[in-house]
Amino acid sequence: MSVPRASGYFRTSYREDQRLLDTRSQRSWFVVFALAMLGFPLLAGTFALDLANQVLLASIGAVALMLLTGYAGQISLGHAGLMAAGAFTAGILFKELAAPFWATVPASAAVGALLGLAFGLPSLRLRGLYLAVSTLALHFIVIYAGSEYETRRGFSTGVVIDSPIADARAWYYVLLAFAAAAVLVSLNLLRSRTGRAWRAIRARDTVAGALGIGVQGAKLSAFVISSALAALSGCLFAYYRGFVSAEAFSLYLTIQYVAMIIIGGMGSILGALLGSVFVVLFPYAIEAAMKSVGLAEQLSSLLFAVNYAAFGLVMILFLVLEPLGLVGIWRRVQDWLLLWPFRQKPL
Amino acid sequence: MLSVRKLEVTYHRVVTAIQGVSLDVPKGKIVALLGSNGAGKTTTLRALSGFLGLDDARITEGSITYAGRELANQAPHRIARMGIALVPERNKVFDNLTVAENLRVPVGKGTLEAAIYEYFPALARLRSREAGLLSGGERQMLAIGSALMCAPQLLLVDELSLGLSPLMVHELVERLRAVRLALGTTMLLVEQNAQVALEIADYGYVMENGRVVLDGTPERLRSHEDIREFYLGIGGTARRSYREVKQYRRSRRWFG
Repeated sequence: MSVPRASGYFRTSYREDQRLLDTRSQRSWFVVFALAMLGFPLLAGTFALDLANQVLLASIGAVALMLLTGYAGQISLGHAGLMAAGAFTAGILFKELAAPFWATVPASAAVGALLGLAFGLPSLRLRGLYLAVSTLALHFIVIYAGSEYETRRGFSTGVVIDSPIADARAWYYVLLAFAAAAVLVSLNLLRSRTGRAWRAIRARDTVAGALGIGVQGAKLSAFVISSALAALSGCLFAYYRGFVSAEAFSLYLTIQYVAMIIIGGMGSILGALLGSVFVVLFPYAIEAAMKSVGLAEQLSSLLFAVNYAAFGLVMILFLVLEPLGLVGIWRRVQDWLLLWPFRQKPL
Repeated sequence: MLSVRKLEVTYHRVVTAIQGVSLDVPKGKIVALLGSNGAGKTTTLRALSGFLGLDDARITEGSITYAGRELANQAPHRIARMGIALVPERNKVFDNLTVAENLRVPVGKGTLEAAIYEYFPALARLRSREAGLLSGGERQMLAIGSALMCAPQLLLVDELSLGLSPLMVHELVERLRAVRLALGTTMLLVEQNAQVALEIADYGYVMENGRVVLDGTPERLRSHEDIREFYLGIGGTARRSYREVKQYRRSRRWFG
């Protein structure tokens, strides 16, 4: 259910209350946005398409983490591990059984769901930092298992996968379809009783229990669905790159995903999408900025360090100055536009 | 409907919080559980609603029977699904959800939502507002409304009047009366404010030091010397320190 952003909107039925797009203006803007997304590859070059594909891949993982942490309130540092699990499932099925794309994708999601169930169990007894550490164990176990597979099967540089899609433009549409499906499924889940239960246990799990919500079941369902989605994103990543390696799923990747939901804005699917755009494009923006001031060549050896430092700084700035993230800024801009020329809503 | 017999609750396996507590809540009635801070009211309520485990407490003796079924040491959501809804003392609403979403948490679709807005009209105009932005009285209305969305047979309300103005408390009491009249919901109110509790209840129990020390109809309780002096502030020889009363006079009178 969306919150009305201005006066004059009246909802007279439960159905209207649950609509994703509330007003004619929202529907019009959505059509414009959808057309822009569909038309983007026709105008974009190879580099821009690759960036867009990276954003779409990241957005699926960010939405997965947002469901678990931003909505259900369960901290996870194991999402890079879950993506690795999805990628390795695709790699192993491809190498060992020559499984096709349409079989490896659901298999990866199923493996992710099983891992989510197993590593969601500690959440029934643990909270906060303790839960975070227990999910971190998942990351190390999966990465260790993946490395072992690479070593034992002689794929020391990684598992090569033949992608059924070669063209970057075709990939864009495939990834756009998966990302749109992930967003739509998530939004629908959040409108359902399951989604309300997740948000309720994030706020007050005791009150949720008093109202008949099975807190343990809700936590586990959040882990399972989020993990399946993260593993799916890992599987797509493996096909997109045509390559699976344990080194691609470092702890830094987990931190990047946590950054996406913090910078984007906790408790918002739009926040997850904005965060994934920001975090994927940020290193390129830094590089472009350094080039524009003529420092790129002098500091080329320090590019990675500058990137890390700038990334850390941005995280701190968002945490301190804008805890609601990019989505908070976006809502303030909307409010400003809706209220102009006034500055405050009346009582 | 609800029958508690010789209930004993122990915290951390060693500290006995309540002992030998017996009470009955007949169907369709409003029963008040009175007592000062630390008397054991909230512990009794937690035992009834299944929340003892949160504080490392457990029922070590006695029984709680609801509609013929044993409730002792059941999980909170199972108790809620049996038809017992709790309105907690503090932190009772989901701040990150709107009023309408709060009401829909316990159910799939808002079937009873319209009825809740009839009992609490103030909530209807706030339905799109996040619960974190509500006032204390509005939160209490929303918490009661959310509990009623479970269509409970028995409503447990912890400290209805806590932190609210007398006008708001009066309004809430009227609303609860209307709910009882319309839905026939049985209620157990845990209160420190005896004035409020005895205004609405059909029967009352008084707890002190983990035991039920007095029970009766509101008329009987109102006329009791100790209730008049220590809960209603009527009569007595001189204005006493509440702590002294609690430590000495009251215990001497009730426990001999």
